[in-house]
Amino acid sequence: MTRSEPAEAVRPSSSLFATRIALRSPIPLPLADEVERRILFLSSDFADFDLVTGPVGVTGVTVYSAEPLDDAEVTRKVNTAVDTEVRPQFVTPAKVVWRSPVEREVIEGSFEKLARAGAVIQTGEGQIAMGEPLLTLFQYFDRALVELLKSSFKVQQYQYPTLISTATLQEAGYITAFPHHLLFVTRLHNDIDVYREIQSTYADAPLDEALLQSCRNVDYCLPPTMCYHTFSQYQGRTVGADGPHVVTALGKSFRFEAGYATTMERLWDFTIREMVFMGTRAEVLGMRELMMTKIFDLMRQLGMSGHCEVGNDPFFGSADTSDRIVSQRMMELKYELRLPVGSDRTISVGSFNFHNDLFGRSFGIEHGDGGPVSSACVGFGMERLVYAFLCQFGLDERNWPAAVRSHVQGQAQTLHNQRIGNEVCINERP
Amino acid sequence: MNGFVHTRVHDFIKPKLGGRSLSDDDDIFALGYVNSLFAVQLVRFIQREFDFELTSEDMDFDNFRTVDRIVRLIDSKTGARTTPEGRL
Repeated sequence: MTRSEPAEAVRPSSSLFATRIALRSPIPLPLADEVERRILFLSSDFADFDLVTGPVGVTGVTVYSAEPLDDAEVTRKVNTAVDTEVRPQFVTPAKVVWRSPVEREVIEGSFEKLARAGAVIQTGEGQIAMGEPLLTLFQYFDRALVELLKSSFKVQQYQYPTLISTATLQEAGYITAFPHHLLFVTRLHNDIDVYREIQSTYADAPLDEALLQSCRNVDYCLPPTMCYHTFSQYQGRTVGADGPHVVTALGKSFRFEAGYATTMERLWDFTIREMVFMGTRAEVLGMRELMMTKIFDLMRQLGMSGHCEVGNDPFFGSADTSDRIVSQRMMELKYELRLPVGSDRTISVGSFNFHNDLFGRSFGIEHGDGGPVSSACVGFGMERLVYAFLCQFGLDERNWPAAVRSHVQGQAQTLHNQRIGNEVCINERP
Repeated sequence: MNGFVHTRVHDFIKPKLGGRSLSDDDDIFALGYVNSLFAVQLVRFIQREFDFELTSEDMDFDNFRTVDRIVRLIDSKTGARTTPEGRL
């Protein structure tokens, strides 16, 4: 059995072990991202990795681990995933549908600056606490997005519960499409014997995984996005007689990632502003396009750098994973708005998705004209949007666009007025 | 237009139509007869049936929306030389 070698040769000062394996044959470089996004999900023993690339493409992977790994096992896991999910993908042309006319210089080390200022606090893996000025910026961008939506359509707003039923995610096809992101909300099975056993077992011992044997319930999950709440809400209904339906919600969303950056670029626990459109195919495609135009205008007016390109979801693990990815890219079912957060990298802050009649069928939502309703959604990761803004404009309000400054000053004035109002109330108390 | 190619493409799409007719310039995907995975099935069929590899540039969705465009793509790749016996 071949074992891993200490990784110092590849990564000086690393205390990890390195296992370098070869792919059965090279993967074209345009599909390197598809290899990358899978590696850490292949085994919890994989702590980090590097792709081995050459002129012909990705030829291998170096996996880093805390303990030495079996070479053959790493080779099997990596090649199986690459051969079933990446190799069958056709390379589709990279397609940019919008590029901001503004080329703003990005401020490097923005997250560290925010952390030093106490504006963000890392509370755990992929989890952050936000203070000012992020809270005000969050509110500004959320209001701006909702106003853009309301200025074009009749909109219904909802606030959904944090929990979502596992059955809803199953109906949406989430379990088969994205099993790696799932987060179950379980609890101790409600039985007096279970409670007593737990009380006695863990009276003086730390909680461990054995506890899971007393948790039999998997009926709820943390929502990966807001639109499944909306489709569940519309389950079994017929829409369309009164025109297309537009629903928006802001809510906490959760996706497990096998690796998180120590910034706000990839979070486990984040907030999505979601806009869901239901109607005919032509209606929802038109609504998606209109929202894209309006949001690009907002980015341009604010002077933000960025671009919008054809994207795909991180489908994983099922037999049709590669077909789903290629279809999504070919048919331009998903566009991503990407904003620079460093000199060499962008992050997706929002996406514009067309579902065809997938969710109409899954949730039994009919259209007045007959057949399942078509749907589209626009979703924004609010923390990422705020973070990208700060990476481009910095912490000093004086450098921010006038519209944002005006909102911040308005908020400060509102707070000031509230404070005076409170003081008056207190002083006037009998 | 290459008649053989045209017939083979129609034959491939026909089972999805549920007995409805399809004009050569109808957008197969907009009519709602097929789901989005059909796009990939179509690509695989074209490569297998006409024995050539589509390039990244060929994978523009506009090339696959209608029978007309699919036939035009195949003709452009095979030089309109495809016959019932295969490529000349």
